[in-house]
Amino acid sequence: MPMLDDKVIAEVKKILANMRDPVTLRMYSQEFECGYCKETHNLLEELTSANKLLKLEVLSFEKHEEEAKQDQVDKIPAIAVIGAKDHGIRFFGVPAGYEFSSLLNSILMVSTGVVKLTSDTKAFLDYLKQPVHLQVFVTPTCPYCPGAVMLAHQLAFYSDSIRADMVEISEFPHLANKYSVQGVPRTVINEKWFLDGAAPEAQLVEKIKEAL
Amino acid sequence: MLDFDLGFISSANADKVYDLIIIGGGPAGLTAGLYASRYKLDTLMLERAPISGGQLTSTQWVENYPGFPEPVLGQKLARDMEAQAKLFGLQIVSEAVTEVRLEGQVKEIQTDYNTWKARAVLIATGASPRRLGIPGEAEFSGNGVSYCATCDGPFYPDKVVAVVGGGNSALEESLFIAKYARQVYIIHRRDSFNADPIIVERVKAEPRIELITNTVVDRIEFSEGLERRIVLRGVTDNAQRDLPVDGVFIFVGQIPNTKLFEGKLTLEGGYIVTDHAYRTSSEGVWAVGDVRAASLRQVATAVGDGAAAAHYIHKYLM
Repeated sequence: MPMLDDKVIAEVKKILANMRDPVTLRMYSQEFECGYCKETHNLLEELTSANKLLKLEVLSFEKHEEEAKQDQVDKIPAIAVIGAKDHGIRFFGVPAGYEFSSLLNSILMVSTGVVKLTSDTKAFLDYLKQPVHLQVFVTPTCPYCPGAVMLAHQLAFYSDSIRADMVEISEFPHLANKYSVQGVPRTVINEKWFLDGAAPEAQLVEKIKEAL
Repeated sequence: MLDFDLGFISSANADKVYDLIIIGGGPAGLTAGLYASRYKLDTLMLERAPISGGQLTSTQWVENYPGFPEPVLGQKLARDMEAQAKLFGLQIVSEAVTEVRLEGQVKEIQTDYNTWKARAVLIATGASPRRLGIPGEAEFSGNGVSYCATCDGPFYPDKVVAVVGGGNSALEESLFIAKYARQVYIIHRRDSFNADPIIVERVKAEPRIELITNTVVDRIEFSEGLERRIVLRGVTDNAQRDLPVDGVFIFVGQIPNTKLFEGKLTLEGGYIVTDHAYRTSSEGVWAVGDVRAASLRQVATAVGDGAAAAHYIHKYLM
């Protein structure tokens, strides 16, 4: 049974018609001991068949250890959204529910180069040299989560110093423990700084400054 | 079954003057957007979240909206309302409004990214969950304290959870949380509930839910390394006692989202005052839904507000 019904596919095609440059979705998967790898793989097959500019690459998490390490992929299912270069945009866990919007949004951003960030933020990012790792913890039913994910991914797209992960927390309960996530969205900055809720752009940038 | 939701790509234009700008994309705003688009008004909606629907998106089930004899998911209803409005040409832009200039012929609505212009403005900014304002609440918000059951309910499988409040939201969301948690305590400061009797009955029949009435929460103590607990106080005898819980959900009413309009429009208890035609104190500015004083604050009334206001705005612009 297909993951996306005809109506959704039609809508996806319409949205992806706005693509300009090719985008590769590089997925890390394995056959066993991965709750949602199969679903994620099927979803991406259907998604990438919706537009010629969209390509799917599937790597085995076990066999392609080197690549996974280089792509900073440490859990699966994982998706790297890659354009002319890798901007550090990752999805861990199946991008279902509201997070499907986040995935489409990141594909379009990487493809068109269009970001929506204030000039203040851009000015800060232009001089940012220290590495920043953003992890946005979400659940697929959380309506406030895509805002936090899209913001983090935009920062990663704009700045080479920033990488940003969406992490679907119900698939990685040990991370919920590690980062004491009990509400979503929660954005973790460089392992130890937290921001709860769908915070406005300026607030996230302030928090990143604190974390540096 | 996995569900998929689609984002939105907008072709809105900040250089032109729109007929109408709607601020807020809950049921009131979306209905006004649907009607205004069908009136062929050039309409732009500004919604701070990337997902429209307002408080509907954080409601699990809606069962008092006519036409749905089976309870409908709040998130589905929101998505369908948005799809319907967009079908007729409503433009939605996901930007938070930071400043408004409502006087004069052309109103200006400023966001972090653009200054949008229109001849008429409809305010549908709704309301946000009210905070209790007790020690520990802000500190543990997002880490054991929550205002959204659909977001955070799944974090409590087989856990013990307290829900604070006695209205429809508190009781309905308790029923949802009880699907995950093994024990839900509803803590309410009175001995009777403001919720619809049908919901009260259902809550009373749910074995996992226990009602603690005539009681308030004094503080939330969720410090790391210690057993998580809240401190309760009896309203009649003032006696304090501890209740060990893993999380607290708070549904104690709303506060209107009207900070932008303070000093610019006539407010009453924070809500925007309107006349029978949903006009505010400023010409060319309307208000609908939960943000409006004297609103019943239901999906059904928000929808009615939105439809009627679009009609009056259409007449005004003609």
